[in-house]
Amino acid sequence: MKIVITLLQAGFLYILFLTGKFLHEKLSIPLPGSIIGLLLLWGLLSIKIIPLRWVEKGAYVFLSTLPLYLIPATVGVMDYGHVFAGKGSLLILITIGSTFITMVVASLVSQFMAKRNVKEEGTLS
Amino acid sequence: MNTVVLAFTMILLTVILYFVMNAVYVRLRSPFLVPILTTTIAVIGLLSLFDASYETYMVGGKWIDALLGPAIVSLCIPLYKQRDVIKKNVLPIFGGVVVGGIVGMLTGVLAARWVGFSTELLASILPKSITSPIAMQIAEELGGIPSLATVFVIIAGLAGILMGPWINRWFKIDTAIGQGIGLGVGAHAIGTSKSLEYGEQTSSMSSVAMTLSAIIGALAGPLFGIWLFP
Repeated sequence: MKIVITLLQAGFLYILFLTGKFLHEKLSIPLPGSIIGLLLLWGLLSIKIIPLRWVEKGAYVFLSTLPLYLIPATVGVMDYGHVFAGKGSLLILITIGSTFITMVVASLVSQFMAKRNVKEEGTLS
Repeated sequence: MNTVVLAFTMILLTVILYFVMNAVYVRLRSPFLVPILTTTIAVIGLLSLFDASYETYMVGGKWIDALLGPAIVSLCIPLYKQRDVIKKNVLPIFGGVVVGGIVGMLTGVLAARWVGFSTELLASILPKSITSPIAMQIAEELGGIPSLATVFVIIAGLAGILMGPWINRWFKIDTAIGQGIGLGVGAHAIGTSKSLEYGEQTSSMSSVAMTLSAIIGALAGPLFGIWLFP
């Protein structure tokens, strides 16, 4: 019975994704279907149309194996070896370097602002 | 080979390799052994060994790929459970995402332009910190190559999760918000899949950063590109 409930929940999450995809195509919203589905679910939970326990189990099945679903996309890198030959290898270095700076800046800015927030309000989040 | 058998083989291969690599990672915990990286290398290695193309792989791979959509929708759950923390930190989240996002697009494109790469490549590298469906859209609008944009997105994501622990140590990033926003802004969905290891608060921050980057990127990315390469 437990597995049936989990599967039903996973199915519901899939329907939310399909709804998002449908809205993306029909209304040409410039966001992917998955993100629209995420925002839809946020909305449904917020206005309490559906309770958290209706989706939680199914969601954790997906979340506990999330990297698996990214693998078909990452394997696609195999077709682009030629772009990174010779001078192209610099593109990899640039991507890594830029990602490093991006993460450092994003982390420092948000952490600094959050700590200042705590100081001003005098409460811990 | 029969298509059904081929699809089944590719799915089984990916799933088994993933769980083996995951077990290795759980045992050894080295950042270089994150399952997404090791499984990708193992799958590419096996495909090359048998002279199988990516197209052949995707006969089965597309079924796994189909589950990415609902998995991204599922990220709403940690997000929703941490909504009070998010509400309390709206400004720090926005600050980190906007500043980090701009730095991400600028540094990549400017460095590539300085080296002298073509506009086509610049447009493909620009959205590398943004989740791949959006990155592809942005690259296409700017005259880049969508599938190549995905490759940069993946390199950024993998590099991000490898560098994350060092960045946190060297720059004293010791809060869930700092660590989560860094992963979400720099390494999008790959970073967010890694952030789940850090706990619910960090993963909710990473999810919110990834989502917000996607939204802002979809709206501002093309404008940014037009300004950068007139």
